[in-house]
Amino acid sequence: MDPSLRLVPSGPSKVASIQDTANSFGLHDTLTYGPRSLAAEVKKSSSVKDRLENWEATQDNLKLNLQRNAYGLHAPVRMLMERQIVGHNPHMPAFRTSNIHLDILMGRDETLECADFMMPASELSQPLDIHAEMERKLRM
Amino acid sequence: MQRLKAGEVNLGTSIMAVQFTDGVVIGADSRTTTGSYIANRVTDKLTHVHDRIYCCRSGSAADTQAVADIVHYQLQMITQQSGTPSVATAANIFQKLCYENKDQLSAGIIVAGWDKETGPSVYNIPLGGGLFRQPWAIGGSGSTYVYGYCDATYKDGWGRDETVEFVKNTLSLAMSRDGSSGGVIRMCVITEEGVQRLFVPGNELPKFWEGEEVLHGKPVKREVPVAPMEIEI
Repeated sequence: MDPSLRLVPSGPSKVASIQDTANSFGLHDTLTYGPRSLAAEVKKSSSVKDRLENWEATQDNLKLNLQRNAYGLHAPVRMLMERQIVGHNPHMPAFRTSNIHLDILMGRDETLECADFMMPASELSQPLDIHAEMERKLRM
Repeated sequence: MQRLKAGEVNLGTSIMAVQFTDGVVIGADSRTTTGSYIANRVTDKLTHVHDRIYCCRSGSAADTQAVADIVHYQLQMITQQSGTPSVATAANIFQKLCYENKDQLSAGIIVAGWDKETGPSVYNIPLGGGLFRQPWAIGGSGSTYVYGYCDATYKDGWGRDETVEFVKNTLSLAMSRDGSSGGVIRMCVITEEGVQRLFVPGNELPKFWEGEEVLHGKPVKREVPVAPMEIEI
């Protein structure tokens, strides 16, 4: 939880990084993603895209900070604890799972988003690299 | 002065709040502009954030509405927890939000109200997010034209009626000189008993000098006879 009262996502920070394509050594994974390319590394971020992607998280962070100011640090800590408990998934990474309890806690149990009914068929196929997914999940 | 983004709606405004013995009088004009088009000519810029705490909004309409909504929400939470908040509390919440978001907001807000501990108070929060408690405060684009009038006219110890007259006259003068202010005058008188809304329509605004001599051709009478000028030929 970022202790700031930002109303809207702030502008993008200018960064070049290989985090997206890094393997377990921290270097660019040529075997999986091909040779390094400058276009992929320099993050030319669109301000509109960043704003939309970070919108919900920023609003949620603002509400948590307002709760902290009104009730004390325990209030947002409990909210975050509940979300973590409920979001814990002991299964292997599989198809997209639904978590209704988490939806209720996040306040989106009564809303429909495009992703809920407009999913292209490719998203429903098996994940390509189960080992990488498990590594990521167990943070090896 | 206003840094509006493209297409944003502007509350080019005259707002003010004045403290008197038993409460505060807040007032505003009613014009909201998008460039030179008046998007709303009967805007209500006096926003309720709590039972006895109101704020006057100037700057970007969207920014001030967003900030006022959050403060209203926060004050409701605080009321549930620890009872009626003071005007100082509300003003400080406004100030926190305005300062932490100062790079993205264009909002000048005046918070005024009555509470049990301090009585009446007025807090001015200009563009950068500073907090200033003052007996009277003016804001918005129209305020620049009436600083002189306010400094010359304001006196301590006024009652309710004199304060309402002061607010009405000041806003009228500001509205007559500032292109971004106009319409009607909306005022609220906030006291321990409650909040009373006052409305002054455009045709009942106090009138000041309107250029009678020029418009209606009434010549100005000269008191001093003019001596003929000496010319060298």
